[in-house]
Amino acid sequence: MKRTDRRGMRAPILATLSAGAAVAVLSLATPAFAQANDPIKIGVIAEATAVAGSSIPQAAQLAADEINAAGGVNGRKIQIVSYDDHSTAPEAVRAFQRAVSQDHVNAVIASYISEVVLALEPWAGRLKTVTVTPGAASDVITQNIAKDYDHLKYMFHGYATSTSIADATCAAAKDLLVGQLHMKSAVVMSEDAAWTTPLDVEYLKCLPQIGLKVLDHIRFSPDTTDFTPIFNKIEGEKPDVIITGISHVGVQPTVQWKQQEVPIPMFGVSSQATNSSFWNDTNGATEGVLFQGFSGPDVAVTPKTLPFVQAFVKRFGNTPSYCGYTAYDEVYYIADAIKRAGSTDPDKLVDALEKTDYVGTIGRVEFKGRDTANPHALKIGPQTITGLMLQWQNGKQVNLWPANVANGKVKFPPFIKVGSAD
Amino acid sequence: MTLFWQILIDGFAISSLYALGATGFALIFGVSGVLNLSHGALMVAAVVAAWAAGADLHTGPYAGAAIGVAVGFALSLLTYFVVVQPLQRTRKIREEEKEIFILTATLLWGIMIQQLIAYLYTDNAKTVDPIVQGVVSVAGVRTPANEFFTAIICWLVIALLWLLVNRTRAGKAVLAASMNPRGVTLLGVELSRIYVAIWAIYGLLVGIAGVLLGMFLGVSSYSAGPLTASAFAIVVLGGLGSVPGALIAAYVVGYLETVTAYLISPAYRTIPALLLLVAVMYVRPRGLLGRR
Amino acid sequence: MHSRTTTILLVAFGVVVLSAFLPLWLNAYILGLLTMAYYSGVFAMAWDLLFGFAGEVNFGPTFLIGTGAYTAGILDSLYQPPIWLCVAAGTAAAVVGGVVLALPALRVRGPYFGLTTLVAVLMLQNFIVVDAHLTGGENGLTVPDVISINDTTNYEIALWFMAVSGAILFALARSPVGLILQASGQDAVQAGALGFNVTKHKLTAFIISAFFSGLAGALLVFYVGSASASSIVDITVGVQIIIAAVIGGRRTILGAVLGAVFLVAMSEALRPLGDLSNFVVFTLALGVVLFFPNGLFGLLTRAREDA
Repeated sequence: MKRTDRRGMRAPILATLSAGAAVAVLSLATPAFAQANDPIKIGVIAEATAVAGSSIPQAAQLAADEINAAGGVNGRKIQIVSYDDHSTAPEAVRAFQRAVSQDHVNAVIASYISEVVLALEPWAGRLKTVTVTPGAASDVITQNIAKDYDHLKYMFHGYATSTSIADATCAAAKDLLVGQLHMKSAVVMSEDAAWTTPLDVEYLKCLPQIGLKVLDHIRFSPDTTDFTPIFNKIEGEKPDVIITGISHVGVQPTVQWKQQEVPIPMFGVSSQATNSSFWNDTNGATEGVLFQGFSGPDVAVTPKTLPFVQAFVKRFGNTPSYCGYTAYDEVYYIADAIKRAGSTDPDKLVDALEKTDYVGTIGRVEFKGRDTANPHALKIGPQTITGLMLQWQNGKQVNLWPANVANGKVKFPPFIKVGSAD
Repeated sequence: MTLFWQILIDGFAISSLYALGATGFALIFGVSGVLNLSHGALMVAAVVAAWAAGADLHTGPYAGAAIGVAVGFALSLLTYFVVVQPLQRTRKIREEEKEIFILTATLLWGIMIQQLIAYLYTDNAKTVDPIVQGVVSVAGVRTPANEFFTAIICWLVIALLWLLVNRTRAGKAVLAASMNPRGVTLLGVELSRIYVAIWAIYGLLVGIAGVLLGMFLGVSSYSAGPLTASAFAIVVLGGLGSVPGALIAAYVVGYLETVTAYLISPAYRTIPALLLLVAVMYVRPRGLLGRR
Repeated sequence: MHSRTTTILLVAFGVVVLSAFLPLWLNAYILGLLTMAYYSGVFAMAWDLLFGFAGEVNFGPTFLIGTGAYTAGILDSLYQPPIWLCVAAGTAAAVVGGVVLALPALRVRGPYFGLTTLVAVLMLQNFIVVDAHLTGGENGLTVPDVISINDTTNYEIALWFMAVSGAILFALARSPVGLILQASGQDAVQAGALGFNVTKHKLTAFIISAFFSGLAGALLVFYVGSASASSIVDITVGVQIIIAAVIGGRRTILGAVLGAVFLVAMSEALRPLGDLSNFVVFTLALGVVLFFPNGLFGLLTRAREDA
């Protein structure tokens, strides 16, 4: 009896010791925070391994280094503290909590995924920390601020809402499709997802206003793989153009559009088409697809755009994704707000940010006011940020609009019949 | 009238593709009793290999397709030798529990392959340059010629398989092994050789189905799970272990999805098939032609 | 036999008590990780009850978890009743969901059961996407209230919740009901021949599994402050729970917690590998399944078996 007990005790003790060792190793993994020269800390929470997300911490670091080289903010240096959220909300929330309570950041730049940003929004309010997003498009982010301004005022939407993106698309369509190509009708085709709900609502409003009659509005399941029925249906309705709202899918509808030789052009939002690898991903099927964006290769939207791209490429070896541009700008205008506020106190910082009037890499950054339906959303329009309309031509993304930054003309593959509506 | 032809042709192409994939899945379960949950991942691997051959090595569509099939073949055998065979032979697990362990192990293996693909090539969707380009007009419907190519190849392969199983000696041994493994060994046939053969055939099926899928619709690393679930569902619908059942079920599901997408709404494409599955599970769990 | 169980229980209790003091030394980040691990541990334990004992491979533990989490979350975002009410509602919904799932599922065996549970998850996902105005769709659901913003409080809640759940589940597993479950799991025909109502016992196991899954899911929503299909319902989440239970050691209940903590620790330790870390974790898990089918718990108590 005794012998068994002694030998038996070995294993449980071993268990406890190894569990303790594991915990000890984990606790050593994060070093204690060391006092430095009182820098301004900006936390960056992003999806570091995603193609789009990796640009966020990189661009932020680039901006910080440039600001520091020019003397910092009133002598204080900017320090970027980076966290990888692995594209999931719970991890982003954890990173946020850590950034604020442990690393004592003064502001946070977070994520390009709407789900993640929406999960962080209440935490920005609970922990009273200014948070700006460089990439998500959900209208809900700023609608929430309108509903509960006092708690959620720390949140700023540093990218366009779905509604604004629809407006930007319509503005481009007015010049390119109606003005140049004399088109008269359209079918709206988008994936059935939360982000396209406000997009489509706005499309249905603004397209008729610019002279395009909406013949049909098709929403398809985001995990559709066979688009033949959809294209056949659209073709049967004979519109002049297909206005798109796709993000979760991109390669498949584009490839099938080309294989089926659908004679109707695609124009609108196609997030995947903005990737530089899209040409290869579709084996060139994307020739002629028009897509909305806020940046493009060799497009000098503002005097700051191309120098930023060159510096980014020189340092990181690849071009920045769309949220790299906005993350870069955000570091600059957060620093600017701190300078104007004269402090990093959250409430003062909010007031200063609301008065932002900064020319960045994608246009002039100004936020909508407290009394609007979308407080703290970016103002999108001819005076501030217009966006671009690009087209894939011969393996390159060519910008067609606005005219003053266009570097090409509309060109369609042979199977497209422009103005096919009788 | 055009709509009818559109549905007929489009449904046929996609059902044929489902059929090929499901046949492989049914074969493996029928003969070796393994529900290979890495099925979808193997197909995706074949597609990505074919795509990568085209993108990185700049091979033509034929060579790319061949590489894709070869990768499917190799991975299938790897799956058998690394994951399935050790578990089937181990003495550390009781016999009744082996099925569960193999299930979990193939699930893990499938996820590993999926993650590796996502790591090496990102999770963006990939399509393969079709061997057959261009469109043809049939009964007033303009269809990519590739769809006909897909359907023809699928049926060719299935026909070859049928010939193999029913007309060759090796095939008959496989059929016998699926009905009575012990009996077959008594006749002096090496059971392990049969298993290797079946996984090899499965590898070819998966590779071809994958490459065709890549040419027709395209896949991403995320497709692995849904592809497995779809094959699983079709095979259950048809009756686990019955290859003819799987073929019929594939067409039922394929047409159900196509008709829904055309006539009801593309947003609800997958729902009727799901409901049918639930109904079948409730009313006739052994499926249409199931025998186990 | 008796002294072995007692020893295990004592050790387990000791570890829990020690863990309660960890907030004194560990930083908020690690505490957060462990909090998630503890909730995962409850998911895994609930799964082990069903699988390890009742012998049913449930591919969709996230159906029960998701039902509990979303019910609690939707209730809170619509009406803001007190949190405990939302949690109770979520748990009740999960139990109902469990019964609804069990009825067709228990009529079938083996792979069909697995498929039924898989279909349940797919249907829940469909519902979440289609009813986006209620559930937030792919953007997820954010709840206005959380239990606490203090890391230590959240940690202790998770720890003691896990401990109590573990104790209950463990006791159940060792009770006559548990033994009957084990018998039904391993040979339903013989168990039935011995006069036990196999279906009734499996249904009970289902309900209990649903109870704890739903409760833990609801609590999780009020810890993170949000829920989404990709973080709670997705098949990959379910797979991680299954892996945690299997590599922890099936049919041990307590092993499931070991598995959950192990997975979290490994993911963290492999973080520098970036995207490859997931791949390595799954490879390790596969290794455990292939070479140590009795899991980590089996490894740790091996000295016992040699005795």
